[in-house]
Amino acid sequence: MDRPFLGFGLGLRTEHYQHVLENKPDVDWFEILSENYMVAGGKPLYNLDTIREDYEMVMHGVSLSIGSTDPLNKDYLRDLKALLERVQPQWLSDHLCWTSVDGTNSHDLLPLPYNEATINHVAERVRQVQDYLGRQILLENLSSYVTYNESEMPEWEFFNEIASRADCLVLLDINNIFVSAHNHHFDPIDYIKGMDGERIMQFHLAGHSYSGDMIIDTHDHDVCNDVWDLYKKALEHYGAVSTMIERDDNIPEFSELRQELSIAEKIAANTLSPQQLSILPVLKGAA
Amino acid sequence: MPSTELRKLQQSFFGHLLGEKTDVVKHIQSTVDRSAEQRLHIYSSGYRLRLKEAISTDLDKLYSYLGDEMFEHLMDVYIDTYHSHHPSLRYYSQHMCELLATQKPFSDVPELLELARIEQAFNFSFDAADCDTIGIESIAKIQAESWAQLTIQFHSSMQLLELQKNTFPVWKALSQNQTPPESVFDASTWMIWRKQLVSRFRVLDEAEAALLREAKKGANFSRLCEAMLSFSDEEQAPMQVIALLQTWINEQLVCHLS
Repeated sequence: MDRPFLGFGLGLRTEHYQHVLENKPDVDWFEILSENYMVAGGKPLYNLDTIREDYEMVMHGVSLSIGSTDPLNKDYLRDLKALLERVQPQWLSDHLCWTSVDGTNSHDLLPLPYNEATINHVAERVRQVQDYLGRQILLENLSSYVTYNESEMPEWEFFNEIASRADCLVLLDINNIFVSAHNHHFDPIDYIKGMDGERIMQFHLAGHSYSGDMIIDTHDHDVCNDVWDLYKKALEHYGAVSTMIERDDNIPEFSELRQELSIAEKIAANTLSPQQLSILPVLKGAA
Repeated sequence: MPSTELRKLQQSFFGHLLGEKTDVVKHIQSTVDRSAEQRLHIYSSGYRLRLKEAISTDLDKLYSYLGDEMFEHLMDVYIDTYHSHHPSLRYYSQHMCELLATQKPFSDVPELLELARIEQAFNFSFDAADCDTIGIESIAKIQAESWAQLTIQFHSSMQLLELQKNTFPVWKALSQNQTPPESVFDASTWMIWRKQLVSRFRVLDEAEAALLREAKKGANFSRLCEAMLSFSDEEQAPMQVIALLQTWINEQLVCHLS
């Protein structure tokens, strides 16, 4: 398919503002956390605008709560739309999860039961959000630690069905597949093979931590070898997909993260052809 | 319409996060390696950890002042009392002053509330709405007949803090990782605002504090001159108010004169 390819990016973190502003490091794009910039003014928005002048961006949110049974939060959507207009990102994403109910926010990405009723519920809400924002959104798979008795299908079937019915796009988190596969005892390759590759616009890579025999998606470590291996298999299966590393805790120097991103670049270069990895000029110059 | 079953499940799951007794466990599969309860515990412990991280980031000087044990207790009380109703964790700790003002033993130690007020004022000033501040030349453009009705619109980051104790020196010491001075009663009024992306603060004398309070409420120039009479004579008052206005403009506190 003609999937837009942005190249290799990093999550923009406050710890790295100064380095990015002063050195304009060689990174194809940045992913911003939408909620960090849904503020009235000051340094966050100033830094965002300044860095945006030099870099392509995508937006990534955590509070859309697309699977909640609360009404969609209109204030949140209004602020998200305003930020979209400000940033003009290539795309925006959030998670296939719920975060709130009865107006109370957990600030966690909570899993949904994988069944027909949930598919109908979530797909309808995605359509409403896309209509309001006037564009498709990307949904991302979670790391999860529980399976509901009400679930009737594997996660990838559930995910495909929602994406298809809502006509939305997919952000595939390779680490989250690895974490959930470990915690729920499935083969991560089944997930890769099961997903509809046509809708995948972006990959996330991240590190995780062990808690006894469970893996917790902490984003506080380097990407591990098992996840790099799975990334290679995902590239073999889907072709070139815009890739970034998410680091949210125990954040190292920017140069260290940039070094880690070069591992992704090398794996992609060894797996795909230069033609597959060429960044579309229209996207490169879109800023 | 959302599925009733899904809604009940979400309410039950959330109740579990909040420490309530719910039936969520019957919805969760147990496996050989982990029971449903153990799996749910990952979410309930993560919930509190995440909120505590947000509180301790927003109120790190209060944390230093109280120490690990008392701050942990304060966070537990806060989390049990206040739920998050905002999509961003940035706003979760916004009710801390309410708790510190009303709940013992914290309300018995007034500098805790003052310290939290200072930290929250800085947090607010950090990302308050932008506005283009005016330059000193704006004063020359004011028509003579307009002065009496002139009102001042301040930068939205500007806040006044009236403190009964020496809490600002305590805050400053904690900011520099120094041992804070002993907390004593020493009333003062402080102003916190943002100038060129950086939060600023300074102490105010009695006259300036009184005038800023009035001006912030929308008092016009005539009213400010009247207020100044408590600190000055009738002849000097207007010039002193103008001098203060010049100071505020130079400090990039003023967005508009109308």
